Amino acid sequence: MDVSQYLEIFIDETKEHLQNLSDELLILEKEPDNSSTINEIFRAAHSLKGMAGTMGYKRMQKLTHNMENVFSEIRNAKMKVKPALVDTLFRGLDALEGYLDNIQNTADEGTEDNEPILDSLNQILNEGLGIEAPAKKEEPVKAAPVGDNGSVAKFQELSVADFEIHAMKKAKDGGQNVFGITVYIQESCILKAARAFLVFKALEELGEVVKAFPDVQDIEDEKFDFDFSVILLSREPADKIKEEILRVSEIKSAVIGEFQIPDQPTAENKENNTAAPVHEEAPAPAAAVQAATAAKPPQPEQNATVKKGATTSKPVVNRSVRVDIEKLDVLMNLVSELIIAKNGLVSIGANETSGNTATAAFNEQIEYLERVTTNLHESVMKVRMMPIESVVNKFPRMIRDLSKKLGKKMELYMSGEDTELDRTVIDEIGDPLMHLLRNAADHGLESNEERRSLGKPEVGSVWLDAYQDGNNVVIEVRDNGKGIDTESVKNKAIEKGTITPEQAETMTKKDIIDLLFRPSFSTAEKITDVSGRGVGLDVVKTKIEKLGGDIECKTTLGEGSNFIIRLPLTLAIIQALMVELGDEKYAIPLGCIQTIEDVSMDDIKYVQTKEVINLRGTVIPLIRLDEVLDVEPRKEAPESLTVVIVSKGDKLAGLVVDNLIGQLEIVIKSIGKYINNDKIISGAAILGDGEVALIIDANALV
Amino acid sequence: MADLNTVKIEEGKQYICVKLGDEQYGIDIQYVDNIVRMQKITRVPKAQSYFKGVINLRGEIVPVMSLRLKFDLEPDAYSNATRIIIIKLEQQASVGVIVDEVREVVTLEDSCIDKPTYDGADGKSMYISGVGKHGEELISLLNIADVIIEKDNI
Repeated sequence: MDVSQYLEIFIDETKEHLQNLSDELLILEKEPDNSSTINEIFRAAHSLKGMAGTMGYKRMQKLTHNMENVFSEIRNAKMKVKPALVDTLFRGLDALEGYLDNIQNTADEGTEDNEPILDSLNQILNEGLGIEAPAKKEEPVKAAPVGDNGSVAKFQELSVADFEIHAMKKAKDGGQNVFGITVYIQESCILKAARAFLVFKALEELGEVVKAFPDVQDIEDEKFDFDFSVILLSREPADKIKEEILRVSEIKSAVIGEFQIPDQPTAENKENNTAAPVHEEAPAPAAAVQAATAAKPPQPEQNATVKKGATTSKPVVNRSVRVDIEKLDVLMNLVSELIIAKNGLVSIGANETSGNTATAAFNEQIEYLERVTTNLHESVMKVRMMPIESVVNKFPRMIRDLSKKLGKKMELYMSGEDTELDRTVIDEIGDPLMHLLRNAADHGLESNEERRSLGKPEVGSVWLDAYQDGNNVVIEVRDNGKGIDTESVKNKAIEKGTITPEQAETMTKKDIIDLLFRPSFSTAEKITDVSGRGVGLDVVKTKIEKLGGDIECKTTLGEGSNFIIRLPLTLAIIQALMVELGDEKYAIPLGCIQTIEDVSMDDIKYVQTKEVINLRGTVIPLIRLDEVLDVEPRKEAPESLTVVIVSKGDKLAGLVVDNLIGQLEIVIKSIGKYINNDKIISGAAILGDGEVALIIDANALV
Repeated sequence: MADLNTVKIEEGKQYICVKLGDEQYGIDIQYVDNIVRMQKITRVPKAQSYFKGVINLRGEIVPVMSLRLKFDLEPDAYSNATRIIIIKLEQQASVGVIVDEVREVVTLEDSCIDKPTYDGADGKSMYISGVGKHGEELISLLNIADVIIEKDNI
């Protein structure tokens, strides 16, 4: 057997443990006395060390070992948690992540020894312990009072062959111990064979496995329940062997005791058998018990974190398979094709006007097909969805670091981490969000003194909220800092020549804020100093628009800013309204359409020589799509106009079209990068009859 | 048979010889994905003038450009011989070019290709990578990547 096949599990679990460590460290920093947190940290570090060791990553093991030593001292209350300590530990975590990256890319941990981190860890350890005599590093894990639900020393029931007895006797005469071990794997474990293999590997380092039940081949083939027994010849003490076994993840417990060699009951053996075999639970329940006994005001929250930590380290049984994202893309493409084919049938069905029974049945079947394809599409989309958690869970750490670096006190509040987004969006959204958070922390929040003098709470707050809103997912990045000073932005814009003073007069606050998203603003350093915003916001905007979303900013001077990102739930297939302009057909995404109105020519008013309508009290500018798109206008002027009201955020606009065709499910295809289109066209769709219709990006028009 | 083919490739490059007005152009065959008949082109508003629009090529959207417009020739008059040559410069990014007629595939050895005289004043000379002599006829060999990818400064 070769360890490489476990590489993937190793990487996944290491990631999980690292994330866990990072989360818990953040808690620890705030509540240095939280014993359940330190236990959780210790456990994660311990399993990390064991895993790295088993996989043969010595450097990683060494670093975790050193970190673990520190954790262990903290746990034993020999050391206090100090900011410098947490900093070093975070550096250690970063280094571990570096190793993991290397392993992920090359299956090798690399050659970086991270000596400075090791040194400072040791230094902390020495300082913290002071002159105290080097205490025993690892406190023996408390035996949990919890019942051992059926963990019995099954090894005693093993039947052994003569030659095995012989070998055991011989070993015993040679001064080795003969241990019987029964290992129980957690019932939630998915890859039992892998765990068993790791146990075997650990055991083989300590001694010689003479017998296993079920036999090794069956264990490799996963032909066992949740326990297996072995007989081990070893010179090591039972405690040490047990510790090594429990170091493997997802091992529930291990029962170890002297194996009674048949027909040779010596006095020593008897004694061992009458005494209950040494039995321990994995430390998890102990941690839970401690958490429960400690009773302080922030208790419920703490309990929740512990529970969360426990569930992430012991994955609940969820029946899942890993699928290559490319395979999903293929599946998605096939679904797209199917929808195009279905649209073809729909259009044939619509042309069959003779109302005989055959067409009725035909239409019925088409409707059925339509339902199936829509459901199929939804299912495939859902498979591609991932909770946004994987992106945002690194942010608390980032805010912490920023807080240190900038010398500002701040707190990040997140909600809606379980909001799901398409995988491709998840991959891309991290950077823009990080950028916005940095902006909020760096430029948005005032310094501690400033906040105090303003009568605000000294600790600044940054919020990251994600939630679903209809067909969109909205992510808001908010802060309660100083907000954006629109006046100074305006003045700077005039100074720079971006806008003329006359233009500035007529600009609304929103228009001015939109200036910040212009590329020309991003490089202007002066603006950054004055307004505190604007670095790279255009990049953020471009990225989000590439994902089919949009971003807007609301701000109140002195109270803070709010950046709102809207992202479409689905990228490839949307519902659209088909419209006609001259002889050409265009699609308008249904998501941005508010209403459709019939406007008589008399209702058109003029504001600043632009056409507007007054629709139930709201003034809405009209956009003549035929002019924008250079379509040959119709000859006779109609008495009334068909206007599609579209919205982008709070802004509305009325698109004038010649004719409405109807609603259609369309598959968005790119029109390629070589052809310019002024951003008005966001893509193309193939209609049922094979014709191509262009999709109008209402966001670019409004 | 296979041997024959290899020998042929070693001898020189293969070009698809197309007609545009009175001139013959050669397109390096390695970029040619497909040749299709003229079909309905959907206009794309605000596109560059030489882009006629997009077509549906078996479920894929492919932008189509007119070589005639690109080279400032008379606008295309579509006939039965008009073809769209689908060029694939990179994965997932095909472009169609409209030509009057597709003549044949020719193999040109390096010795048959003259380097063009570079004329800085003529922006279009960069589209030609050489002039091939095939029997009595001259074929302007297109540098198809430059034709398709717009360079802003020129």
